Amino acid sequence: MGPADATADHAADEAAARRLLARAARAGRRRLLLPVLLGLAGTLAAIAQAWLVARLLAALLGLGPGAGWAELAGAGAFALLGLGLGLAQERAQQTAGEAAKARLREAAFARLIEAGPLDPRPVGERTALVVDRIEALEGYFSRWLPAAFLALLAPAAVALAAAMADPASGLILLGAGLLVPLAQGASGIGAAQAARRQFDALQRLSGRFLDRMRGLPTLVLFNRQEAEATRLGAVAQELRRRTMRVLRVAFLASAGMELIAAAALALLAIRHGAALAAAAGIPPGGAAAEALFVLLLVPAFFAPLRGFAAAYHERLAARGAAAALAPLLGEAQPDRPAPAPGLLLAEVPPQVTVTFQEVRLVYDPARPPALDGLSFRVLPGETLVLTGASGAGKTSVLRLLMGFARPDGGRIAINGRDVTLLRPSELRRLSAYVGQRAHLFRATLRENIRLARPEATEAQVEAAARAAGVMEFAGALPRGLDTLVGEGGWGLSGGQAQRVAVARAFLRDTPLVLLDEPTAHLDPGTEAEMWESLRRLCVGRTAIVASHARAARGGALRGARVLEIAAGRALGAARAAGA
Amino acid sequence: MRRDLARVLAELWRGHAGRLAGGAAVAVAAALLGLALLALAGLGVAGAGGQAALAGAGLVSGLAALALLRPLVPLRPLARYAERLLTHEATFRALADTRLWFFRRLAERLPAGLGLRRAGDLLGRLVADVEALDGLYLRALVPGAAALAAVLAIALLLGMLAPRLAAAVALPLALALLAPLALAPAAARAAAAAAASQGALRAAVVDPLTGLEDTLAANAEGRAAARLAEAGAALAAAQRRLAMRGALGGALGGLLVQAALLAALGWGLAAGPEGVAPALLALFLVVAAAETLGLMPRAGAALAAAAAAARRLFQAADQPPPVAEPAAPAPLPPRGHAIRIRDLRFAWAPDRPPVFEGLDLDVPEGARVAILGPSGSGKSTLAALLLKLAAPQGGRITLGGADLATLPAAAVRGRIACLTQDARLFDDTIAANLRLAAPEAEDAALWRALEAARVAELVRALPEGLETRCGEAGARLSGGQARRLALARALLSPAPVLILDEPAAGLDTETECEFLATLDAATAGRSVILIVHRLIGVERPTRILRLIGGRAIPATG
Repeated sequence: MGPADATADHAADEAAARRLLARAARAGRRRLLLPVLLGLAGTLAAIAQAWLVARLLAALLGLGPGAGWAELAGAGAFALLGLGLGLAQERAQQTAGEAAKARLREAAFARLIEAGPLDPRPVGERTALVVDRIEALEGYFSRWLPAAFLALLAPAAVALAAAMADPASGLILLGAGLLVPLAQGASGIGAAQAARRQFDALQRLSGRFLDRMRGLPTLVLFNRQEAEATRLGAVAQELRRRTMRVLRVAFLASAGMELIAAAALALLAIRHGAALAAAAGIPPGGAAAEALFVLLLVPAFFAPLRGFAAAYHERLAARGAAAALAPLLGEAQPDRPAPAPGLLLAEVPPQVTVTFQEVRLVYDPARPPALDGLSFRVLPGETLVLTGASGAGKTSVLRLLMGFARPDGGRIAINGRDVTLLRPSELRRLSAYVGQRAHLFRATLRENIRLARPEATEAQVEAAARAAGVMEFAGALPRGLDTLVGEGGWGLSGGQAQRVAVARAFLRDTPLVLLDEPTAHLDPGTEAEMWESLRRLCVGRTAIVASHARAARGGALRGARVLEIAAGRALGAARAAGA
Repeated sequence: MRRDLARVLAELWRGHAGRLAGGAAVAVAAALLGLALLALAGLGVAGAGGQAALAGAGLVSGLAALALLRPLVPLRPLARYAERLLTHEATFRALADTRLWFFRRLAERLPAGLGLRRAGDLLGRLVADVEALDGLYLRALVPGAAALAAVLAIALLLGMLAPRLAAAVALPLALALLAPLALAPAAARAAAAAAASQGALRAAVVDPLTGLEDTLAANAEGRAAARLAEAGAALAAAQRRLAMRGALGGALGGLLVQAALLAALGWGLAAGPEGVAPALLALFLVVAAAETLGLMPRAGAALAAAAAAARRLFQAADQPPPVAEPAAPAPLPPRGHAIRIRDLRFAWAPDRPPVFEGLDLDVPEGARVAILGPSGSGKSTLAALLLKLAAPQGGRITLGGADLATLPAAAVRGRIACLTQDARLFDDTIAANLRLAAPEAEDAALWRALEAARVAELVRALPEGLETRCGEAGARLSGGQARRLALARALLSPAPVLILDEPAAGLDTETECEFLATLDAATAGRSVILIVHRLIGVERPTRILRLIGGRAIPATG
């Protein structure tokens, strides 16, 4: 990709990010209104308080008409009101952020699930996308958007109040206010890019840490933990540098803002200092109070702008996050994630016939196709064993039947109906699947089996556990089926974990059984026992088994048909196993 | 709470003390400059009002000092910018180091794997909990130092003019300064809940994505989404409570600052004409200090969040290591690498049946010992004991004459390499994965190892060859390919002792035969402990042992 393409890409990402944020903001419009209104009311309370304090001060200085304890009490009351409004505003902002966050997180997670196991990004990176990037969007809705609206409305109200006291002062404030966005904009050039890089660095850190942490034993046994710590340290330092780059922009914006505030204050002080000095000689009038009022309004004028500057990096962060999320969330309405296309299954048929006709599958156009015109048919009650070298296309057949991939040519039919018409999750309702290495979740054995069919009774779960041989080892554990296992099956051997997967398949009780080298990681003795259970699982169902030659040649699957495939094509017709 | 935070400062951030203190010092300077700016403005207004009757020698000298500061005053925005930059830089440096510390501790404490811990939760600790520590410095210590300086300066300056005015103004400000300490305990529960839900949320994403194939196969994606939404709602509720604590703190801060402001005015009203100038000065000083002190009580929630995060970090990092490093390492390195096991006794837990009850085993240098036995007979446990992933409850293991218990784990692992059943490929290139075993190995050595593991042809056929990325846990390769790469990695290791735990799993029969027949050549001169379910007759071991009933019995094939 040339640099021009990269620039165009960034521009497209930026535009997509803007659209994503705008859509999400529209969806939560009503929730955003409340904090803005409360903030505005707070500004009005501050104006009233400033007026009362100005009158008090003028009286103190002997420059104004009498004012005393009543004004003091009034100022105190408005101060309290302002604090109450501030509290309410914060609460309302929090709610607005929460709602937006929940909607977007749901949509992003659904997309990652849909993308399926073929998504090449490490889990840690995908997690950062759903957790950290979405959290970063919260600030956009709870702080930036209200602050941006308030930065327009509240200073205008203050400037108006100042102009009523002294038109020139109002104009000075207005001018200063107009300078603020200019300063922000100038310091923010290239900031979106910086924010995006910051998130990329965070994502890399998450991805790397999660991956390496899962393989800690491997690192430790090779004495490489220190080398990995150094590499991880480099990624962590990269995150620091990227974060500082974003913050530097935000700090510059704040500094610019403070300079403008100081200049405005100085201008007003010069203008009114002279007026006050003049007033000292003349009889008490309203002019001094008005001059003081204008001066006291300066903090109220800049408070919302200060909030704007403080929330500016939230906007940068959100832009960066949205740019990364936009490709994932696409143009879907974030409040209503579009359901995956495809038909629903009225009911699971009792038996299925699977037909492949000239099926083609291409993962990467640069490489030869994974399947290149594969045809076969499996009837109910029949077991088809696919054999062939690694990479021959055995797993691809199962992936297609699991809906993880869609064929690029040819036709796959179940009971004569094209499977691509079905929604992938519906397709999976037909089948039970045992892969090369089952993933066990951190839960009890019982819960891990129940995953396959949550509504199953205890008796059904236990029957499945017995059928798969889980009971044989669970019986020896102090807590039986209620023994807790760790993520990835910690506490169990590879063979025991696979048995849990087979128990899931028994419990699922579907007409189609898909097995992808379920014994690939097992020692030969355990393997033989596994095949015994698997053979019982396949009885009376349609079964497709990807397996290396040994199992197919041995008596593991007596009565099965064997189809050898190479380079995504069938080598000859299926023959009986053991032949 | 205080102990955890003190530990963060004293233990984790000690190396950054200079930078952190420097940042705080600049913050103090910026706060004092702000006070000077408005004190001068206040005097100007009072003077313009014709009430410049500011008597007293002390005050005059004080004001003279202030006048000297005048040229510095425009530096204030610059000082604020420098403060933010320096404090954040110092913080993020400290946080980056904290992440490293966390990883090192995990590697030290969990060498045998995560066990029952959730990977997603640990990721949350590394990312979110470490990040929450920033509140300790950025929102409590730095503003605290600036606020303390401001309160002291105000009390001093006003105290010279009118002690009672000084008391009336400084008291509410001092309360604001102390508020975080009073408010933090009340926010601690919400903070702990928020930190825990952060971890739970991450686990709710990591879990189904890691087992995505099984999740989808079970049609469990809806349940996973519901769990995520639930975790998200719990986090939002906790964050809302914590934010409310913060907002209440903010309101309290505002209230105290307003009280100081009104106290100054009230004092002016009560004192009459003489009080005008000091009251004005007080008013402007309070306005100057308002930003720093008004935000102080908010620091209570930030402190609570930082403390909760620190607690979670220490909780995970303070697990005792399964095998403590020797207090007094063996004086001499082991001579040679003969392994001798005598009367070994071991059980994984007191309530689990013992795995070994008096095991004796010898692996002389260069020997090729096959250890057989059904699953659960302790074959892999033996490997764990030899690699110091677990410590025996009785008996002795020696390596080259030195007791394993007196050798540092790294020294043992440098001499014994192991292909474990759960050997993992990382999301990196094939070359990088292989070089874990021998960082300096040249490409030719990598190819030799790949040949020996019968996977070279396959790697050669890949368009990117050795530079092909493996994906997480070898996800981009088939199971058999990944296992063979792990085998190649073990063979590449220069360690003189090699433990191969079911090296042929994932190989088909012919490849298995070929590999085991040539194992001699691949491991020439090294001791090999071959852990297998059964022998197929081509291995030519020098000894065959069968593990039965916690002992090793000599056997034949």
